[in-house]
Amino acid sequence: MSGQGGQDAKFFQRGKIQEFRAELHAAESKDKKFQKRKIVLKKIVANITMGNDMSALFTDVVHCLAIPSLEIKKMVYLFLISYGRTKADQIHLVIPSFLQDCSDRNPLIRALAIRTMSYIPIPVVLEALTDQLRHCLKDRDPYVRKTAAICVAKLYTADPRKAERGGFVELLRDLMLDTNATVVSNAVAALSEIGDRQDGVIFKLNLTVANKLLAALPESSEWGQIYILDSLLRYVPEKHEDAELMAERVIVQLSHANSAVILTTIKILLYLMNYMENRKLIDYICKKMGPPLVTLLSSGPEVQYVALRNILLIIQRRPSVLKNDVKVFFCKYNDPIYVKLAKLEIMYRLAREENAREVLAELQEYASEVDVDFVRKAVRSIGRLAIKVQPAADSCIQALLSLIETKVSYVVQEAVIVIKDVFRRYPGKYEGIIPTLCEHLDLLDEPESKAAMVWIVGQFANRIDNADELMDDLTYSFLDEPTEVQLALLTAAVKLFIYKAQSDTSKALVHKVLKLATEEVDNPDLRDRGFMYWRLLAINPGIAGEIVLAEKPAITTDADRMDRGALDQLLLHTGSLGSIYHKNPETFIRNAAGKALTDSPALNAFSRQVLVSAARNIPPTVIHVPGPGPPDGPRKSEPAVSPESALLSPRPIPAAGSNSELIDISGTQTQEDTAEDGEGEAEDEYAPTPTSAADPYANLDNAFGGYIADEPRPQMNDLLFRAL
Amino acid sequence: MAIDGLIILDATGRPIIQSGFRSNTPAYPLLHIDALNNAISKSSRPDDVDPVLYVSGASTEASSACCHVKHGELRFLSPVSGDMDPLYAFAFLQTFINILQEYFGPISAETLKDNFDVVYQLLEETLDAGGHPLTTSPNALRDIVLPPSFLTKVLSVAGVSGLASPSANSHPFASPIPWRKAGVRYNNNEIYFDVLETLQAVVNKNGTPAVSSVWGRVDCNCKLSGTPDLLLTFSNSQNLNDACFHPCVRLQRWARDRTLSFVPPDGHFELMKYRYAPASTTTQHQVSVPFALRVAAINIDENGGTFDLALTSRLTTRPLENVSVELFLGDGAAGANCVASHNASWNFDPKTLNLRWEIKSLPPSSTFSLRGSFTSNTKNPRPARAFRILFEIIQHSFSALKIEQLKLTGEQYKPYKGMRGRSTGDVEWRW
Repeated sequence: MSGQGGQDAKFFQRGKIQEFRAELHAAESKDKKFQKRKIVLKKIVANITMGNDMSALFTDVVHCLAIPSLEIKKMVYLFLISYGRTKADQIHLVIPSFLQDCSDRNPLIRALAIRTMSYIPIPVVLEALTDQLRHCLKDRDPYVRKTAAICVAKLYTADPRKAERGGFVELLRDLMLDTNATVVSNAVAALSEIGDRQDGVIFKLNLTVANKLLAALPESSEWGQIYILDSLLRYVPEKHEDAELMAERVIVQLSHANSAVILTTIKILLYLMNYMENRKLIDYICKKMGPPLVTLLSSGPEVQYVALRNILLIIQRRPSVLKNDVKVFFCKYNDPIYVKLAKLEIMYRLAREENAREVLAELQEYASEVDVDFVRKAVRSIGRLAIKVQPAADSCIQALLSLIETKVSYVVQEAVIVIKDVFRRYPGKYEGIIPTLCEHLDLLDEPESKAAMVWIVGQFANRIDNADELMDDLTYSFLDEPTEVQLALLTAAVKLFIYKAQSDTSKALVHKVLKLATEEVDNPDLRDRGFMYWRLLAINPGIAGEIVLAEKPAITTDADRMDRGALDQLLLHTGSLGSIYHKNPETFIRNAAGKALTDSPALNAFSRQVLVSAARNIPPTVIHVPGPGPPDGPRKSEPAVSPESALLSPRPIPAAGSNSELIDISGTQTQEDTAEDGEGEAEDEYAPTPTSAADPYANLDNAFGGYIADEPRPQMNDLLFRAL
Repeated sequence: MAIDGLIILDATGRPIIQSGFRSNTPAYPLLHIDALNNAISKSSRPDDVDPVLYVSGASTEASSACCHVKHGELRFLSPVSGDMDPLYAFAFLQTFINILQEYFGPISAETLKDNFDVVYQLLEETLDAGGHPLTTSPNALRDIVLPPSFLTKVLSVAGVSGLASPSANSHPFASPIPWRKAGVRYNNNEIYFDVLETLQAVVNKNGTPAVSSVWGRVDCNCKLSGTPDLLLTFSNSQNLNDACFHPCVRLQRWARDRTLSFVPPDGHFELMKYRYAPASTTTQHQVSVPFALRVAAINIDENGGTFDLALTSRLTTRPLENVSVELFLGDGAAGANCVASHNASWNFDPKTLNLRWEIKSLPPSSTFSLRGSFTSNTKNPRPARAFRILFEIIQHSFSALKIEQLKLTGEQYKPYKGMRGRSTGDVEWRW
């Protein structure tokens, strides 16, 4: 068949079933060396691969199985794998040939036969396979044994209980101790596949078997090494020394040429470190993990991307890895955008006082590039750097100001968004730049930046001389603004009023905005907040001021670190899809079994504190991370609509909402605003107090649409309906 | 831990060859092909498509991911539906591409179509229908799938089918060493080492490198008989950092005394990769860039701009060869007009909007210049902030890596060994 190499393009022509059938029959006569039939079969196979349905030729093709030629056998088997499943009524015709081939002298044919059978999940075939497979698992030829091992996994997929009853799992377990490394690794692969199924038997390793597998490592193929290394996650060390010894044996694999071997090795090392005590060894391993990760960055962009997403997780758990290598992550102009964005995130993570200058210089460079997305992220990163590294804050602010001077719309907008957070991080330090920001108000046309600017104007209304004018301009198009901006405007108007209660403009303004928000707007969030403010102001403006302008929890960069327990869990998926999308795979992948650290006497105390149990027992922890990948499922708690979570959480930002992306400004903003508004203990004070004459809003009762202030229930129901 | 299969797409996004996808519905591969083609058509630069594309199905149950790489005009896809390592898919795709190259030389849609039967055989042998890679070592593969060489054609025409269908009599996997063929014989026993080093650097406006690193690779062409066991020592191995090796190299041995002990595969293979970092602390482990680009002026005006560049070699003995300086002129660039000194050539590619200045050979310590202007259809065009400069230096390696000794045990003959170096560079120069 390879004889015609180089001229086979002609077979890629659409053929008719009838013609093929006729050709096949015609070829039977005077077919020297079966060449004629070989050519017809080749045409048929070419048609299968082009997606043309050739299943009508079933009986004719199966007929060729008797021909004693390996090439023809291969093609017929290919045909069977493609159509066998749909021809359940005719498949019994092939069984005798299968059985004959299973006892062929040639190991390749024996292996081919069981391999093909295992891909036809029809009871008759499976029945025949069960007997043959048992022999093949003990075949004297390793090629047959290794093929048989994988077939067991297929059999298990087709009929788990049958495979268990037949004792195949035990047979596989015995194969793990085979003398041939390839057989061992394939047995491990099959057991892992079975163990990963949610209905599968649990596959665990003890120390003896784990050590046997490690011994097979050097002789295995690269793919076998991956299976073996990956299976070590199923071994739970009982003693610190066991984990340490194993890590020492695995660590040499870090210099393998195959990138997947490297990453799997790192996964195992990270896992074993949870069970280690020896500080020195842990530090040594961390030091050793850096260079191979850097090596991955010399590969193609696809491998770089996977490596970068994983590095991002690893350095959050083990910050000493790559601590001094921030330069490696500097972006090149020609990097694809997904590589650039991933690098940017890592640069931010690795930024410290020592390297902040270099990092800032790079970020400034990126901010002048052409790609809009990248420039935006770069500008944001400058702001985040200011928040993270205090000594660098001054130069970061300078950099942001000079970027604002460029007057490039999206650069200014991003700058405003981050500066808002800088203000919160360093209260009283940089408010001097507010006038500069106000000059560029016209450039803001996106909700997020506009909302940020409105927040700044409201929050610092006492420092901005023409704050009421600005607010008046901003609220001019209130009804046309997106909700995000409307919410910000509402809060800002209230703040302005509290700062400048004497000013008539601010009085008129707050009145106008509250009225618009409660009467003209359909959005329940906005209306609800409007009512809340209104009541607050109506009841006692003094206390309202204390609540609305309450001390804000400081922004820290701790908040955008991932929760440790979740991180440990994700790291068990190092290199897998979960680590790319930063989500636990069982939340988005079919049949994925959750992984979790298993407790053992050797588990170090720090890891135990944050232990998350496996998803087999409890609902999976969903980690919401904006970024590439699948959309989140139904969110459990939307921070913006459940201010309680913020109130009850000891941390400024709940861990579940913390993300690896940029600080979620919209989230924190609305969250803390609603927190201010809905201050828990203020609940009682909502009871209608006798309206005093001094209250400027005494006559605004009808604004609540006829409901009295302490009975907002019908409204609540209404809200719920809308929310649904 | 298994990929679902492999699909090869041609330049227009149509599938040429795909593996069976026997555990999936027939629509499954199509879904992935469509998802990729859609993503490519949506993105402004085709290279910017997320390499691990999330393919959402009707439910979470049916969701999967599509790992894809580009090779020349072809795209290689590997759908994965379990939670597995995308690197595993990428490593397999790369291995498969290497195997195809080993068999057919440079590959294109045409070569694959012409040899589709061999490709299918390879696919069958390298990836089982369950998505587990099988035999990927070229040495073992050549035992099972014959390359479409002239010899096999002759044999098959002559009807010597016993030789043409190899697996009939030669027993595959007979070799005790998986990556090496058993019973290899050569009249002249030779082994060649090709050292290729690539300088990757980003240089700041002021001419100081922000990053510079040298990545090295040692390719090997081995024509040794029997089962030779080699011990290779380099004269300056302390400068080789972050090395990674072909599976044949005994890793423990390298960790112990930084020597390479291995039984090589037969034929071409990549022995090792490394990063070169000079030992001296003054240069902060950075390799200096062997040229300087002086950007005398780039002026942008409303409908284009002018520029004035000078490229000076910092090498004193060797020339820089095949130098190319590239600048993206920004969206809307319409054309350029330049004067290059010393008969160097320049061109403007209206498709990629890149201005390219090409110098065949830049003699030691010489300076070439390029002056000109460009026009643009957009107002105030924004050219890229960096030049991309590619170059080669023949017979040179940044690390000055040398073989100190090559010892052979296990066989009686004395091998001939050869080694040559070549350096390339890919430098980004900001202005």
